Amino acid sequence: MVRSPTGPAADEAPRERVLVTRRLCKSYRTGHIIQGRRPALVDLDLEVLRGEILGYVGANGSGKTTTFKILMGLLKPDGGEVTILGAPLASRAWRQRAGYLPEHPYLYDYLTASEYLDYCGRLFGLGRETRRERARELLSLVGLERSADIPMRRFSKGMLQRAGLAQALVNDPELLFLDEPMSGLDPVGRRLVRDLILAQRSAGKTVLFSTHILSDAETLCDRVAVLRGGRLLSVGPLGELLKLDVTHLELLVSGVAAGAPGLEAASRAEAVGDRLRLLVEEGSLGRVVTAVEAAGGRVLGVQPVRRTLEDYFFEELGGAPQGAAARGAGAWGEG
Amino acid sequence: MGGRLSRTLAVAANTFRETVRERVLYNLVFFAILLTVAGLLLGQLSVRQDEKILKDIGLAAMDLFGTLIAVFIGTGLVSKEIERRSLYPLLAKPLSRGEFYLGKFAGLAFTLLVNLGAMLLGLLLTLLLTGRRPDPVLLGAVFPILLGLLLTVAFAMLFSSLTSATLAAVLTVSVVVVGRFADVIRGMRDVAPGVPPALVNALFAIVPNFSNFDFKSKVAYGDAVPAAVLGWTMLYAAAWIVVVLGLGLAAFRARDFK
Amino acid sequence: MTWRLALLLLAAASLVPASQARIDQHTGTFRAQEEVLYLWSGEHVRRLVPGFESLAADIYWLRTVQYFGGQRLFVSGKRFELLRPLIDITTTLDPRLEIAYRYGAIFLSEPPPLGAGRPREGVAVLERGVAALPESWRLRQDLGFFHVLFLKDPQTASRILIEASQIPGAAFWLRTMAADVLAKGGDRASARLMWQRMFEQSEEGIIRENARVRLSILDSLDARDALAAAVAESARRHGHWPARLDRLAAEGLWRRPLADAAGYPFGYDPSTGRVFITDQSPMWRPD
Repeated sequence: MVRSPTGPAADEAPRERVLVTRRLCKSYRTGHIIQGRRPALVDLDLEVLRGEILGYVGANGSGKTTTFKILMGLLKPDGGEVTILGAPLASRAWRQRAGYLPEHPYLYDYLTASEYLDYCGRLFGLGRETRRERARELLSLVGLERSADIPMRRFSKGMLQRAGLAQALVNDPELLFLDEPMSGLDPVGRRLVRDLILAQRSAGKTVLFSTHILSDAETLCDRVAVLRGGRLLSVGPLGELLKLDVTHLELLVSGVAAGAPGLEAASRAEAVGDRLRLLVEEGSLGRVVTAVEAAGGRVLGVQPVRRTLEDYFFEELGGAPQGAAARGAGAWGEG
Repeated sequence: MGGRLSRTLAVAANTFRETVRERVLYNLVFFAILLTVAGLLLGQLSVRQDEKILKDIGLAAMDLFGTLIAVFIGTGLVSKEIERRSLYPLLAKPLSRGEFYLGKFAGLAFTLLVNLGAMLLGLLLTLLLTGRRPDPVLLGAVFPILLGLLLTVAFAMLFSSLTSATLAAVLTVSVVVVGRFADVIRGMRDVAPGVPPALVNALFAIVPNFSNFDFKSKVAYGDAVPAAVLGWTMLYAAAWIVVVLGLGLAAFRARDFK
Repeated sequence: MTWRLALLLLAAASLVPASQARIDQHTGTFRAQEEVLYLWSGEHVRRLVPGFESLAADIYWLRTVQYFGGQRLFVSGKRFELLRPLIDITTTLDPRLEIAYRYGAIFLSEPPPLGAGRPREGVAVLERGVAALPESWRLRQDLGFFHVLFLKDPQTASRILIEASQIPGAAFWLRTMAADVLAKGGDRASARLMWQRMFEQSEEGIIRENARVRLSILDSLDARDALAAAVAESARRHGHWPARLDRLAAEGLWRRPLADAAGYPFGYDPSTGRVFITDQSPMWRPD
């Protein structure tokens, strides 16, 4: 397992760890007559730092939801320790300061969104006026202010997801656990959730969210924890996880044909309209640029090819390496 | 303690709201129709028979409708929440499993109280409208019916914490039916002398004796149920309810929600 | 498409009453009552409905009343052998249903076509009632009456009536009646008194109706006897039986109608001078 240094910069004070798991384990019984055990989580050591957004990524069945359920007390772990906001897992005190959005939330369909938020507020011991205020604020925040008094059985999937988000924020939690928060949302909704998560961080809150949509993790997270088969594969800032693998550069050139002399140094050449896209190793950059100019062409731009999380992900999982080059997508986003 | 109570009450209030919105209380409409029709059709019999039959029908309907509600809503209380996973966001809050479980029980108990109360009112009204004075003695039968229903709910919740809603309903109905036959079990030695008394006693002990809650015939004839009997009945019911609720709570607490 | 569905539904719905009528033709409309002959004893039924015995008793009682006629006294074609089991089941389910014992007793004891003509069984039902409801002086009174009226046993009747008189709340005249019954061996005057009491004590319905009829029968018997006396007087005057009953009016010996309480003319045999109630009359009873 690759572990990158997660510490703060030298001149910052060490950040508080709001969630710590040590050797967390869980396995499920399988089979009806002959029972075996399928491990869902194996020796999970995870830390979440205050004020960060940690992405929890993995394929379906990798143990993401199991982790969340254990943290929320829906499943009992087979072993290990968990500390949340300084309190042990079993204590209810930390729940006053945390919020949770389950995957595919089901909220009572006979209630309206306002009523549901009011109910949740009561469970936190909020006063009536406070509950009313919070409900109004939150519904406005998630864009449901006009649907506040419609029974939730008439909500679309996206509306339910947003209502679910609202209920996770009722108590203005310091620590948010979001299980697939973008699922079921259209682009507008996804944007809303993204903004919301970023706003939480700006307000000093901590967010742990799981997703299998890697681009979301890329754009939002400070750090990413990658889960495979119930084990933590790697965790660290995105830049560090991916930086090591930046070895190629992409050149966009014009006025030169693919077979021009000197261009064989490029690993790949691809025509894009009347331009040429070349994939070049770092060390060969100079040679190729010279070759292009010698052939009378022009270099329009140079871009380092960054491996995406997806590439990393598929490589680590043993699938075919799907670099930007192999996929044919440009570093500038075309293709 | 205040926090615990207020959370439990919040769950109870929401449960009551759920039963109302799921139109459970519409059974009262059928009850009203039943009483009206019965009141009209019984005219052919003598005056004194009218009253007794009306009371019999009213009390039997309270018992039967109440039992149906207790079984079918009761089994849904826990299993529906688990199957639909509406439980998840709630348990992540400072709401313990115990508060949730007991809150659900309290909510349905209140629903049954309201339901029975409305039926009693309806019966008294029907009696009044057919020229009889309403008899407070009827309360002596209605209160034990409520106790029996609460025990039924406790069983329904126990079974629904252990298994699916459908199977839980079947098991609960079985317990209620066998419980009504408890006196037959107890008297088994008269009918089948070969059965070992230890077995009979064991069988009688593990099944609640629902006939303890049945004072319908007595009350229909205008006899009051003695306060001492009501007191002991209440104690009996309370003891059973505590045991069954406790077992159900233990099962609910131990459960993994996959 | 919907009209085809509607037609189908209508056709199916109309099959229901048609098939019901056919079923009724074959098995009769009172299957539920007749089952009591083959299947159920009171104890069996009681075991099957724990918690709802009172309601079940009401249902069986309603069935009984329906089958044997709610308000109509003279019903024909009823199988009186169903009466005993129905009453037994009803009173096993609810031993306090006093009216069931009374009803059963009367219609088991009355001769056909009114009842089953089995007074011993009627008395047995009352005995069960008295055992179940020892505080009911009325049931015990009825038991005493029936011993006189149907079993012609004034000794036992008198004893029972005395027991009845000792129950708190009993009518004050029971003692006197007990003495009368013993002394006069159940004559018509006592019988009249007994039917009168039973008439007064019942609600509107066929029990009361039956008592009324019984009183009318006693009136008719009295009228017959008075007419017979008038005939005898006429015979004494003329030396032979009058040819016809209306002769008596001409002689000033009879001013009342020549009919019994039901309005049926009395029968008269001029060869023997016997006056009788015709057997077409509802007032007729076997002696």
